[in-house]
Formats: sequence, structure tokens, C-alpha cells
Amino acid sequence: MIRMFVTVSALAPALVFAGFGAAHAQPAGHDGHGENHGQDHGDNHAHQGETLQPTLHEDIEAALAEGGSLVVAEVNGMVCDFCATAMTRTFGRRDEIGAVHVDLDTKTLQLVIREGLAMDDATITDLVTRSGYQLASIRRGAGA
Amino acid sequence: MRTFALAASCALLGAAAADARPVSYEGGWTVIGESDRESTSLLTHYTPHHEWSVGLKAEWMRDSDILFTGVQATHLIKRWFAPDSQANLYAFASAGIAEGIDANPMHAEAAGLVGVMADWETRRWFVSYEARVSDFGSGFDAMQAARVGVAPYVGDFGDLHTWLMLEVDQRPERDEPVTVTPLVRFFKGSFLLELGYTPAVDEPYASFTYRF
Repeated sequence: MIRMFVTVSALAPALVFAGFGAAHAQPAGHDGHGENHGQDHGDNHAHQGETLQPTLHEDIEAALAEGGSLVVAEVNGMVCDFCATAMTRTFGRRDEIGAVHVDLDTKTLQLVIREGLAMDDATITDLVTRSGYQLASIRRGAGA
Repeated sequence: MRTFALAASCALLGAAAADARPVSYEGGWTVIGESDRESTSLLTHYTPHHEWSVGLKAEWMRDSDILFTGVQATHLIKRWFAPDSQANLYAFASAGIAEGIDANPMHAEAAGLVGVMADWETRRWFVSYEARVSDFGSGFDAMQAARVGVAPYVGDFGDLHTWLMLEVDQRPERDEPVTVTPLVRFFKGSFLLELGYTPAVDEPYASFTYRF
């Protein structure tokens, strides 16, 4: 048992090597968007199979106030924080995206497209797939 | 001391446990460390495509003092999607070199392993299965493990998630071929930590996964 803990301590340099210390750095451009989650959903949990109306995250509201347009995508298979992280990192890299948030309760990906820019449905579908998940539907603007 | 240095070296190369989350999003990196009743390992992998990951792996078989270092590829064979769940089937293989450390005089020789993993999870329930066959220079060695888990509460993205889990593993060649390991999983954002204990062999269990 002691040897095991010795080895675990020996693994520490590998974490530094692997960039562990850079923990929450976003890939590019949109640091922090969508990373402040879980604040407004305490009483919004869905039962299995139930669909809830998404509550817009404060980052989404802020980006909309700057003139962006809202896209809400329903995504199948999002059951954990790794799923949500995959989505926020993948979309957060894109210049078109002003804010991104994942709501696990409503199984939705909330995006704000920056004013003057566009992201078509095919691109959103492709990015969801590259994140490892499956798009169920896309709603835009007032329909979102 | 030599063991410490070698283990650190292998860790620096990246390494081993074929456990949860073996394939990430495209462009994502993941570090997975695990220490179970038999070995201590580390796997650092990169996901160039959402169905593949490639990485460096090291695994130290503590009782036999054999150190394996090599490369690992993992393929997501199939992911099943549902609004409230997902299920995955993976295959993985590693190839590299195994050598004796400390009192083990075994010279370096070609080594490797192959295995499969499957899991199904919702935000409340988790079930997984893994089987692998390895040859680290001392003949074929097989193991299989199954796990069930339940989350006592369901949190949203960014909350601290807690899971209570039970793992049963079988290693036919061991004095204790079947053991049971209760464990607790803590999961928040990009970091996952598991702590447990295997009473039959008086060994702690620990693992972590970090995705970036």
C-alpha cells in the first residue's frame, strides 16, 4: 500500500508535463464563456424523458444584450460535465460564438452568435458531432 | 528510490489505465491515472477524431515489479444516444516495452495489451464493463471488471457531482481471483476523482481523470 502511494506521488510531474497546471484555460478567444454554470438551475431538474424550457444563463443574456442572436440546440447523450465541457470547448473556439452554455437539465446547448456573423445549421450539427454527441433539434431567434 | 525514479519516468512519458472517458472531443487532451489492487498507471491521450484517441501509457505491476511503457490507441466503436442517456463501446490496444524494475531482473522486451470497454449512463445511474488481455513479458494475463453506480443527487454542469459505486473484478490467476471494491466518485467540470478500498487484499483504490 505504501508503494502505491509512493507511485501516485511519482505521477505528479506527469500532470505538470501534461499541462495539468493550465487547468481551466479555454482554447482560444472566448475564455470564460459558458464556464460559470449551475447557478440558476437548482429547481429546474428534469425527470427522465421530461423536457423543460431552458433558462438562459447570465453569460447568454449578456451576449444577447450586446446584439447577438440566440440559438438553442437540443443534444442527445449529454449526461455529465465532460459532455458539457466538450461542447463549451468546441464551440468556444469559434469566432462566431459570443457565448456558450450547456444546460444538462434541459439537455440544451445555448449559443449566442455574434452580431454580424452567422453559423448555419450544418456547421452546428458538425461541431456537435465533433464534440462526440448527436444533435436533436435547432431553434433560432424567437423560436428558441 | 529506483522504483520511484522509474515510475516518475514512465509517468512523464504518459501512460496506462484503460478506464472511463478514453475518447474525448476533437482536439481534447485527457490524463487518466489509476491505482487499483494490482497496478498503478497513467494514460495521457489526445483525440484527433471523435471516434479515436491516441496516447502514451505507463503501467507498473507492483507485485511483479514490471514496468510497461508504450503507446495506446482507443476506438469508439459505437455510441448510442438518447435524450437522457448514452452508451459506449470501445476497443483499445497498447504496444510497447516491459522490463523488470527493482529486484526483477527481467530485460526489456516487447509487450502489449488489448481490451474492450462498454458503459451506459444517465445522470443518475452508471453501469460499465471492461475486459483486457495483456502480455507484459510473463505470459498472457486476463482480467475483467464490472461496475455499477448511482448518484444520490443530480446536479447541473459545474456542480460537484457525487457517485456511489461498486466494482467487481476478476483476475483468474490471482490468489484472490474475485474482489469487490466500493468507491466514491467526485466529478466537477473537467476533473473526476475516485477513491475506494478493496478489503479482500487490503489495498486502496484511487483514480483521476482530467480533460482539457
